[in-house]
Amino acid sequence: MAMLEIRNLHAAVEGEEILKGINLTMNPGEVHAIMGPNGSGKSTLAKVLAGHEGYQVTAGQVIYEGRDLLELAPEERAREGLFLGFQYPVEIPGVANTYFLKAAVNAIRKHRGESEMDAMAFLKLIRERMKLVKMDEALFKRPVNEGFSGGEKKRNEIFQMAVLEPKLAILDETDSGLDIDALRTVSEGVNALRSPARSFLLITHYQRLLNYIQPDFVHVLVKGQIVKSGGKELAQELEQSGYALFEENAA
Amino acid sequence: MSAVAEATSVYLQEFRELGRDEPAWLSQRREAGIQAFEAVGFPHRRMEAWRNLKPGALTQQHFRAADAVGAVPMALAPTAALVPDAWRLVFVDGHLSAGHAVLDDLPEGLTVRPLRDAVVQDGAMPEAHLGRHAVLDNHPFAGLNSAFWADGALIDVAPGTVVDRPVVLVFLSSESAAHRASYPRVLVRAGEHAEIRIIQMHAGPDALPYLVCPVTEIIAEANSSVRLNHIQEEGAAAFHLGLVHAELARDARLHVHGLSDGGKLARTDIFVNLAGEGADARLDGLYLVGDGQYADYHTWVRHQAGHCSSQQLFKGVLSGKAESVFDGLIHVHKGAQKTDSRQQNRNLLLSPRALAHSNPRLEIYADDVKCAHGSTVGELDREALFYLRSRGIGENDARGLLTFAFANEMLQLIGVEALRDHVGQRLAAFMPGDATVKELL
Repeated sequence: MAMLEIRNLHAAVEGEEILKGINLTMNPGEVHAIMGPNGSGKSTLAKVLAGHEGYQVTAGQVIYEGRDLLELAPEERAREGLFLGFQYPVEIPGVANTYFLKAAVNAIRKHRGESEMDAMAFLKLIRERMKLVKMDEALFKRPVNEGFSGGEKKRNEIFQMAVLEPKLAILDETDSGLDIDALRTVSEGVNALRSPARSFLLITHYQRLLNYIQPDFVHVLVKGQIVKSGGKELAQELEQSGYALFEENAA
Repeated sequence: MSAVAEATSVYLQEFRELGRDEPAWLSQRREAGIQAFEAVGFPHRRMEAWRNLKPGALTQQHFRAADAVGAVPMALAPTAALVPDAWRLVFVDGHLSAGHAVLDDLPEGLTVRPLRDAVVQDGAMPEAHLGRHAVLDNHPFAGLNSAFWADGALIDVAPGTVVDRPVVLVFLSSESAAHRASYPRVLVRAGEHAEIRIIQMHAGPDALPYLVCPVTEIIAEANSSVRLNHIQEEGAAAFHLGLVHAELARDARLHVHGLSDGGKLARTDIFVNLAGEGADARLDGLYLVGDGQYADYHTWVRHQAGHCSSQQLFKGVLSGKAESVFDGLIHVHKGAQKTDSRQQNRNLLLSPRALAHSNPRLEIYADDVKCAHGSTVGELDREALFYLRSRGIGENDARGLLTFAFANEMLQLIGVEALRDHVGQRLAAFMPGDATVKELL
């Protein structure tokens, strides 16, 4: 069974149609990259999949592990194993990272019928996963993303992903705005989490990310439609030709 | 129907019937109080400072002063014992509950006494200060307090005395106070270099209407420090209308931290006169206003001397059909150069039916000053809500967490751990969802 099947997905924001018929199938263990120019609908796709209420699905279907994904509230999607790494992680002053993540872990465990994690086990998990993304432990005690640098915020996203252990991770421009060291760390984090049961959808503006994370498939998104799909060599092709060629074809 | 309390009032009649046997100076001040009330009566729309308050049921009946000490309601026993490591006076229905007092081993230089005893035993101090500072003209309920107060506290800190434990004043209403009024009165003087923290708590049972009009006067002498935690968590049908008035001499520091989380109709006015150079006042407040409640903070910060600073931060959380007012005055006198004054008011509406009035008022008559103010009224941030939900946290819990995050800044300014935990529990009860605040703090 496919992990995710997107069929003819149309979505609008404030009445303006952004996604105009997306088709995409992802199997367990696969890494797909979606590339595209500004305004092509990359982030819209990520947010629609995660359940953001600001976007209206006007047509199409999304089947996740055999279920209708679009019927689920954002928190239900997360509890079913979907994770969105935000392009712009939100700052939440007044709520410590510790509390936030513990609430998330326990909400997911409760959904699975598991008991709450005790403090010691939680701390052990946190420390272990923090090492994976080389995150400073001090950051963990601070309010969620407050005063974090751009790189720290993205690292925090990958760290959260490592703790929550999703089945399907959608990373929305996690590589944007990162210097090379941070990009390496983030990529290493993703690579360490790759497994036959876990799929990744990498949304990126830059081919550079794909030097560090090898995708199985690359899709080019232009004006709300996937105009070309291929293997990782498509990314290199794009790097040379740019999006202009595809934009003309789409128009 | 004519309101019983509006015409020449049943309160004046009640006052005349009391016939107290007291020192002449006190009788005169009580008389001034009832006259001040008679002059204006209960507030009405045409009184600018009271235009949002709808006194309604308050004027439809006569809340006669409770004339005896009631029993501490069982549910409020923990409130009476709040902040364990402290000196304490507990009043029920405006009268001293002698059995609850904790005044053992008061340090030298600290006087804490029921006010009724103090006007006899420490005659000179109350005579010099009681009712000499709080302005009655614009606050009918302060007038009523001056006329009717039965008891309260006198706290006098001798020069140079640093008090290392808070003094807790608990004013409770009991079931026998239904349809009755109480008028708690507090007088505080901090001598030169003295330091003191006072916790003033008001609470009462739900479901029965009663009226509480407290007045607290604070005299902070040169270079002294006074901290006041002022907590209003009256019962759901109660009327609570009172004021705090502080006079700050040269280099004196005042920190008032208010919580308003009860009552059907609640208003506290905080008057601060920065009368000596270098004085500093910090006023913080958090109001949690539920369906059908009205909460109101009015601040009156007057910079009367140069080089003084003041900071105000008030936050409100409103749910259901709640209504709140923050009205904050910064008045800078002509000679008060180098004033540094800030005021912020932020309101979070959890419901589309909630209404928050925010009214900053700046009156500046000096030219070399810094004055900043800001006010916001908004809902929970949609992106933050989505962020939390996208991690598996349910919508109600996410709303609760963000509400907590909004209010948490005020909790961190409380300064007494036991009190912060208490307010945290109150906040948790108010928040949507069932996040465990104990872990959040």
